[in-house]
Amino acid sequence: MSERIDGYARALFEIARAEGTIDEVEDELFRLARTLESNDALRNALTDERIPVSRREGIVEDLLGNKVTNTTVQLVSMVVAGGRGRDLPAIIDKLVQRASSAKQLEVAEVRSAVGLSADQQTRLAAALANATGKQVNVKVIVDPSVIGGIVATVGDTVIDGSIRSRLDNVKSRL
Amino acid sequence: MINVSLLAVDPAESPHWLFPELPEIIYGGISSVLIFTALWKFALPQFKKALVARTERIQKELDASAEDLASAQTDAAGIRQALGDIESERSRMLNEAKAQAEAMLADGRTRLTSEIADMEARATADLATVAARSGDELRAEIGRVSAVAIDAVLPSVLDDATHQSLIENFISKVGASR
Repeated sequence: MSERIDGYARALFEIARAEGTIDEVEDELFRLARTLESNDALRNALTDERIPVSRREGIVEDLLGNKVTNTTVQLVSMVVAGGRGRDLPAIIDKLVQRASSAKQLEVAEVRSAVGLSADQQTRLAAALANATGKQVNVKVIVDPSVIGGIVATVGDTVIDGSIRSRLDNVKSRL
Repeated sequence: MINVSLLAVDPAESPHWLFPELPEIIYGGISSVLIFTALWKFALPQFKKALVARTERIQKELDASAEDLASAQTDAAGIRQALGDIESERSRMLNEAKAQAEAMLADGRTRLTSEIADMEARATADLATVAARSGDELRAEIGRVSAVAIDAVLPSVLDDATHQSLIENFISKVGASR
């Protein structure tokens, strides 16, 4: 299973790099993976073997459409058509790791209630690099459950500055 | 002389009206002597024997009476002793019963005191447990309600400026760390 996921990730990475859109594809796939993790209905639709492949590809087209690059749509359609929709988040995570490794970067998963501007992402990358001693590739996930602030995960290190964690602390103290 | 004179007189005639005639006195005297001699010789021993037997019988009766008296006195003493023993036993039993009653009372008081202390301790512990549980439940409920309220209210209260401020604050703190 792990080898198959690695194989798909390597293939997607090489295609995106060959197309010269690795950074965009990486970001778009990362966001898609997080969306799939949080959306059971979408995940089920893309992984249900009883739904014809063409129909599942149509769902991918409808979902991503003009919102992402064409390469991303084609890569996702390829994985879904191959019957690996269930492994898509894991394949994407491997791809992101591979892309980051290629750039000598560590993936920094950043969850925020609102999106971060490019400037904020740059400064946050610098701040995380300063804090962890590693150059990081920031991947922002808009997650309303954070409520406010940011949760950054770099490898095994979690830096939690979210309102959610503060509320949880207050709740546990109560 | 006397005999001569007696023989000389008429035996049918008495010289004095008070005295009998001499032969009568003689024969009477001899007869009396014979009678008294016979009495002394035959009757007196029987009489003495009868007297001795009577004395012995009386003595026996006296001895028996004395024995009866002694026995009665012994019985009386026994009865008195028994009465004394009964009184003593009654007193002993009464004292024993009193001691037992006092011991039972003391034991009962001790046990009751201990049970009351245990019940008080249990009641205090139960109260403390209930109070603690109620406090915990109340705190948990307050926490739950607060969390629900905060979850419902806070996202709508946080405006974009606040979000940006929180993000900038996070970046500053992380950048300043290490």
